[in-house]
Amino acid sequence: MLRLKRIIPMLLALLMLTLAVYPGHGQAQEQAAAGNSEKKTIVVGLSPDFAPYEFLMTVDGKSKIVGSDVMIAEEIAKDMGAELVISDMSFDSLIPALQSGRIDMIISGMTPTDERRQNVDFSDLYYTSRQVILTRADDVDKYKTMDALEGEEIGVQTGSIQEEIANGIPNAKVTAVKSISDVISLLTSDRVNAAVFEGPVAEAQVKNRPGIAIADAVPEDSDTPMAIAVQKGNTELVNQINGTLERLRATNAVDGFIQQANELNSGEKAPTNIFSFFWKYRGFYADGVKYTLLLSALGVLFGFLIGLIVALLRLSGVKILKWIAVAYTEVLRGTPMLVQLLIIHFGLASAFDIRFTVLQSGIITLSINSSAYLAEIFRAGIQGVDKGQMEAARSLGMPRGMAMRTIVIPQAIKSVLPAIGNEFVVIIKESSIVSFIGVADLMFQANAVRTLTYSGLYPLVIAAAIYLVMTLILSKLLNVFERRLSAGDNR
Amino acid sequence: MITVKNLQKSFGKNQVLRGIDAEIKQGEVVVVIGPSGSGKSTFLRCLNRLEDVTGGEILFEGQPITDKKHNIDKTREKMGMVFQQFNLFPHKTVLDNITLAPTKLLGLSKSDADKRAETLLQSVGLADKKNAYPAQLSGGQKQRIAIVRALAMQPHVMLFDEPTSALDPEMVGEVLDVMKKLAEDGMTMVIVTHEMGFAREVGDRIVFMDGGVIVEEGTPEEVFGAPKNARTQDFLSKVL
Repeated sequence: MLRLKRIIPMLLALLMLTLAVYPGHGQAQEQAAAGNSEKKTIVVGLSPDFAPYEFLMTVDGKSKIVGSDVMIAEEIAKDMGAELVISDMSFDSLIPALQSGRIDMIISGMTPTDERRQNVDFSDLYYTSRQVILTRADDVDKYKTMDALEGEEIGVQTGSIQEEIANGIPNAKVTAVKSISDVISLLTSDRVNAAVFEGPVAEAQVKNRPGIAIADAVPEDSDTPMAIAVQKGNTELVNQINGTLERLRATNAVDGFIQQANELNSGEKAPTNIFSFFWKYRGFYADGVKYTLLLSALGVLFGFLIGLIVALLRLSGVKILKWIAVAYTEVLRGTPMLVQLLIIHFGLASAFDIRFTVLQSGIITLSINSSAYLAEIFRAGIQGVDKGQMEAARSLGMPRGMAMRTIVIPQAIKSVLPAIGNEFVVIIKESSIVSFIGVADLMFQANAVRTLTYSGLYPLVIAAAIYLVMTLILSKLLNVFERRLSAGDNR
Repeated sequence: MITVKNLQKSFGKNQVLRGIDAEIKQGEVVVVIGPSGSGKSTFLRCLNRLEDVTGGEILFEGQPITDKKHNIDKTREKMGMVFQQFNLFPHKTVLDNITLAPTKLLGLSKSDADKRAETLLQSVGLADKKNAYPAQLSGGQKQRIAIVRALAMQPHVMLFDEPTSALDPEMVGEVLDVMKKLAEDGMTMVIVTHEMGFAREVGDRIVFMDGGVIVEEGTPEEVFGAPKNARTQDFLSKVL
């Protein structure tokens, strides 16, 4: 059953094919403006949960990134004669992505702090906004001044300028989370009592979500300027951008963009029934499921093959190979998958200039992570096969490799099939972690719907239900497979 | 056919074979007997190098198979082996168990291998079991299939390692019958067994081992009828 020599090239071909077929190498929301594909491109990175600067909208059932920052980016691209490509990722991934050259610039309401200036270069300021304090509508009178916030529990977005402001409030207990919608969820679920927000962003939230309000308290020195970040030393691009900004400033265009974006963001009326909710946003989930299945399938296949090889190395009897295999499994099992993912995606890019696409990084991480667990499962299975089987095969004249392949491994796999099945289920679930670097998988899309609808519960419940359906179907399939394999056990 | 010179084997500090010299001739049936722990199974397993030898030399058809450079896999194709625990491949049908090695190693076509397997199955009375899985067979049937599996490679010699020791008493006969027929057909055989009646009837030569050495050998009449060595006498008085 295991004709590795034939299977491996087939898998590689399959991988190439899928990677070729999937648009934008799986980069979430890489929207290319219509136009000549020969044109040079400029890639802007942004975190689209920051209405009205950048946010998601459904247009004809498809999600689209819009906002005033996007409009500015389009102007810059126009002046450069380049095609604009938008790369969507979490806010704290933006600077690593810029440093590793995955994106050309960041326009994401980013404030040029001294800390950031050490890592990237900034353009002239293009907009200055104020900061406000957002609270639950019932509590809005409690926070008339900043003093009232001392010692309070405050929510902010990780790595944002608001986080710095919150940290400056005496004794404040600051909770930093990944996205704006998570901050709002913290607030509405009473986990924090106040949140620091960009003025226009807070207004957009208040408009679309009942139960929250802007308090009278205003953070000191709360004017937060925004600028466009580029890779350190890229003065050519900075000058180009500054030229465009100057042109826009002459007509007060940015204020107009923000107003336009605010109108766009009038808020989608999300259905209150979860089934109609799902139906309305089914396109997002369908897109996400495609990537989740692709990632899991390839992660499992390569994990299976690598795991088998590692297990065989470990049992090879050659000390150095065994040692390598042990180190491999221990390191991969003993470190968090998120760390592995970030090292592969960002670490390798900045240190060795090895640039995987987000989809490749996701698949590699899932493959090597699961291979470590599968290697241990295979080892147990191979060691569990009666020694007499190997002896009988060898006594017939089979070389060790052939005996392993045709006699021992099939029996080993059969005996550990339930454990392998568990590992496959785990991979489907764990694949959700790749949404962190911006693979548009199911989890990523659930978050996109969350941002889009200002709904905290439904998008996640639906995602959970879809994960459950996938894992249940997989378990069922494995049961059938197991029954077929156990044909020889029936008396 | 097989020449053993001063064969030694140790497991760690435990020396199991302490210098064995033996000669197995074409067409000869040699039965090795002796108390448990005497090293007789180890001796047999050294003959096809399932156990690596510690010292001494084994020649098979003139070739030194204990030589490190010798391709033992090729030699094993000519030395069939039958185990106490049958060791059939549980994930394969009876037919696949038998045809696997001939097709993979001898390059037989599937249909030729099937034909060969079916003829052999016929001869041991198990033609109807060719599509069964090992788990569906009795112990005696399994051991007969195991013998057929080895024979399908058309070996020059057959090694039997206590082939009836794991069987229920009523099944011992059917396996011994197959072996007897094989001996009558002129197969060279080395058999480790506790079946003294069988040894006496079928063996051309009896080898009595104890403490890792050959204590006494001779025709069945000599060894069973008039054992010269005290240890042989003692052993036979207990088992006969």
